[in-house]
Amino acid sequence: MSGAVDSGQGGKGKGGSQDFDLNLAPIIDSFTVLIAFMLVSASFLSIGILDAGISAAGVAPTSDAPPSVNLTVEVAADQQLILKLAGKSDAKVSLAAKDGKYDLPALTEKVGGYRKQWTDLNAVTLVSADTVQYKDVVQIMEALRKNVPVVLLGGF
Amino acid sequence: MKKSFLKKRAPQSEDMALQITSMADIFIIVLVFLLKGYSTGAITVAPSAGLSLPQAETQDASVEALKVEITEGAVQVEGQQVAKLEQFRFDKGDLQATGISTALGQAISRQREKQLLIAKANSDVKVDAKIMILADQRAPYSTVKTVLASAAVHGYTDFKLAVVKGD
Repeated sequence: MSGAVDSGQGGKGKGGSQDFDLNLAPIIDSFTVLIAFMLVSASFLSIGILDAGISAAGVAPTSDAPPSVNLTVEVAADQQLILKLAGKSDAKVSLAAKDGKYDLPALTEKVGGYRKQWTDLNAVTLVSADTVQYKDVVQIMEALRKNVPVVLLGGF
Repeated sequence: MKKSFLKKRAPQSEDMALQITSMADIFIIVLVFLLKGYSTGAITVAPSAGLSLPQAETQDASVEALKVEITEGAVQVEGQQVAKLEQFRFDKGDLQATGISTALGQAISRQREKQLLIAKANSDVKVDAKIMILADQRAPYSTVKTVLASAAVHGYTDFKLAVVKGD
């Protein structure tokens, strides 16, 4: 790489421009160090946050009126989901395992139906069996949050 | 006559110069790419080695909160081991009848007291109920429940569950 500098003689025209070579080696050195440092310190995992409340402590009510219905989802160890609706309407629905897994599409659909029917249904309480893996609990929470904004963890 | 594919190379000049300008260009591009992806926020969440967080779709960003990690062998509060686990299970002697861990409860209580002292001295700092849980995806819910219950009795009821963002 080459460049040109003015000789600093002003506009007198006595000295012309001087050609020089920019020494790129130290720049490359510093780039190598910087890239190595950033590669080592960079985190390639993107961590997000799932909000959850605790049903025993309760959440700050968004309105004075209590919701028409309370929905509780029970997670059984045998990949079964039990939905319990209490209040103005009482219902109990069991969602059996599908291909050895929790039937999350059916859960989303069912909760979506309840949400359409009861528009003031803003929170769901999730009660899980002790042996259920945390991964499954998070997946169920994720499925519930598609329709209901607040998921409360219960069973304490 | 058979054509030979192994042609003789043209003789190169002795003084070969490395094209350092193009190398600098590549380095600049890599550096810009890394800088773009580099998190500059004050809040950093760095899970311990061997901790495998569950995956979930979420848009929420990280928050500043007390960090509790649940790994296969221990529960850590702000990077300090406070309770030992065996295969994700608390020691039965550590568990109270209410399902709360004594050791973890004490550690969380200390953190709460510290937070209250800071809030007392500085009016800008407010005591909140946020707690970030970084739990291994293989952990049984009973262990997570014990941690949540231990936190809840000391006023931490707003749980922020750390997950790896999905597609």
